[in-house]
Amino acid sequence: MDSFILNSPLSPFPIFPKSLNPVKSCSPSNIKLNPTKLPIYSRIPSKKTEKCNSLFCLTPQGPPPSITQSLSVSEKVQSLDFEFKSLPQPIDRVKRLLHYATLLPPFDESSKIQENRVMGCTAQVWLNVKMDDNGVMRFRVDSDSEITKGFCSCLIWVLDGAEAEDVLMVKTEDLIEMNIGFQSRGNSRVNMWNNVLISMQKRTKILIGERGKKEEEHKTLEAFSSLFVVNGGCKETKSRINRFGKLLKDNSMNELDMLTKNIT
Amino acid sequence: MMLTTMEGAVLKVPPSFRTIKPNPNHTNRTFRTVPSATASAPAPLTTDTKLGPGSLGHLTRPDFPILHQELNGKRLVYLDNAATSQKPTAVLNALRNYYESYNSNVHRGIHYLSAKATDEYELARQKVANFINASDSREIVFTRNATEAINLVAYSWGLANLKEGDEVILTVAEHHSAIVPWQFVAQKTGAVLKFVSLTEEEVPDIEKLRETLSRQTKLIVVHHVSNVLASVLPIDQVVSWAHDVGAKVLVDACQSVPHMEVDVKSLGADFLVASSHKMCGPTGIGFLYGKSELLSAMPPFLGGGEMISDVYLDHSTYAEPPSRFEAGTPAIGEAIGLGAAIDYLSGIGMQKIHDYEVELANYLYENLRSIPNIRVYGPTPSKSINRAALCSFNVDDIHPTDIATFLDQQHSVAIRSGHHCAQPLHRYLGVNASARASLHFYNTKEDVDDFIRALSDTTNFFASFK
Ligand SMILES: Cc1ncc(COP(=O)(O)O)c(C=O)c1O
Repeated sequence: MDSFILNSPLSPFPIFPKSLNPVKSCSPSNIKLNPTKLPIYSRIPSKKTEKCNSLFCLTPQGPPPSITQSLSVSEKVQSLDFEFKSLPQPIDRVKRLLHYATLLPPFDESSKIQENRVMGCTAQVWLNVKMDDNGVMRFRVDSDSEITKGFCSCLIWVLDGAEAEDVLMVKTEDLIEMNIGFQSRGNSRVNMWNNVLISMQKRTKILIGERGKKEEEHKTLEAFSSLFVVNGGCKETKSRINRFGKLLKDNSMNELDMLTKNIT
Repeated sequence: MMLTTMEGAVLKVPPSFRTIKPNPNHTNRTFRTVPSATASAPAPLTTDTKLGPGSLGHLTRPDFPILHQELNGKRLVYLDNAATSQKPTAVLNALRNYYESYNSNVHRGIHYLSAKATDEYELARQKVANFINASDSREIVFTRNATEAINLVAYSWGLANLKEGDEVILTVAEHHSAIVPWQFVAQKTGAVLKFVSLTEEEVPDIEKLRETLSRQTKLIVVHHVSNVLASVLPIDQVVSWAHDVGAKVLVDACQSVPHMEVDVKSLGADFLVASSHKMCGPTGIGFLYGKSELLSAMPPFLGGGEMISDVYLDHSTYAEPPSRFEAGTPAIGEAIGLGAAIDYLSGIGMQKIHDYEVELANYLYENLRSIPNIRVYGPTPSKSINRAALCSFNVDDIHPTDIATFLDQQHSVAIRSGHHCAQPLHRYLGVNASARASLHFYNTKEDVDDFIRALSDTTNFFASFK
């Protein structure tokens, strides 16, 4: 059976093995078939991953990680779509997902709290979302179901490290090929990865909002501080700045007005 | 009344009974016993005679068109009957016939179609009443499903009759639909909900229930058959204890009415609910049985057409039950379909269905126990303890959803995974979810065999990934 495998990075792992059936219409042109080399993923120092080699009947060799690492979110989505389209047999999809489950980055046990639960899943799913200072999203997911973990692993590969705006661009329909077998195509309370994706996007939106607020706060504070500097010598300066910060946070615009009136 | 209908119904034997004859020379001898760790293994409860060719399952399967299909090149094995049952041709035909020949609104027109639709709709009510041996069809209120029937009792009877300090007793094994409405009522009235736990045998502890009873107890809400544990509660006993302290009993009979004879008179239940879709009828219809004197004293649940007597601008007077509780145009075709389902079930005979299912339930339980590292919830069946024909289980280190997914994808076996709308029970059992295989009389020994083989393959598959 000839098949070839495209390697792509699964953060934080350097390589994300993928195999593609020779479905002509969806074979990216930059894939090289090289059945003689050792599988790249077997170099990943994980016991679990090594066991999964049997999944892939031919050894993979793809573009160097540096190239695949720079795939955009939409390119990654497309590549997942290709990959799962090329696996018409449900069992192969299940196997692939179970393999990806083994590549899921570790989840901090202390984050397994109620607030981090993704609801509406038949299995338990926890999601931790953070945003870097520069607006890059960090996702960690865990589940008690291995198949769900596999789905989550794919989502993490696509979205972890992406710009917040790019996270919001991903649509359920784009990833519909990940469904195994006859699972309903639309939103369903058992459609696990769809719920996880939606939660990732919801939490991203909230974080974008918070960042926006913070930036505004920061700007206003800066403006006021310069005002105080100009008016220098005022004993109250520091405490006032602190109070400004708090009022801005609380949205207490009336009081803020009063305070600024005092200054000018 | 029950008897006459049953006799009448026997004439309408499902077609398969006439065409397929059991073959007495062809009994199945490949009976498997469960390997047991203990030397004193109990004698197997299953005898193969009832399960071989010519069994009730083999005879009735042809009546269910949906069962005869392949998915992914494999024969469909449907074992999610506790969630919903399949529908026989007789029910499909009744629905088709209604829509093709006499679809019309009920109770509202004098024309022929409306009169015919009204007659058939009311006949369906009578069929339900006969089926559960109610004294009068006016004791049957059609609802959308069992959940709505429970909500009806909660909002109408509950809000009118419960006050601060009153107690409602339930078990931890209730379906969410029997818990949540009472939480609403408790919040509104200040009544207290008390939950009875399980015995060591994993059966709701009715002795504890008895001890919990007091003059404060106003209502007991209990299932008849558990949709997770497969246990069967002695409702008649619970009712007599409840009535001793002046409490009412609401029986959730969703999992019993489709599988055994349920007689509201001999149970003595004050209220009893069930869903059509679990008893071979259409979705969108269920019923509440309530004793006449209780229903008559209850205020309406929803307002609208059908349920009124006279409407003025500032107030209305209400129709008598059951109309009082059936606001708006009801699910006419569905009710008629439910009537057809009852004819079909009665044609076979509920006792016959039950006897066959006990046999098949034991066969399922025994074979399931042969899967390594499996935990089946609920009581161990014995000569004195019958389990309902379902098994909820977990296999060590494999999530039930993964099991169900693999069974579906690789083997075309349909089972359920999750908490089965019984989260408190799962919490009590110390798990988040379980897998559940649930049977009905149209399942066969081969269905169970295929399932067990498939489950064995599934556990091996996941073990190879560890
Ligand atoms: C024991 C029990 N009670 C209540 C229900 C609720 O039935 P329905 O969803 O048809 O209202 C179910 C069905 O899942 C059940 O199994």
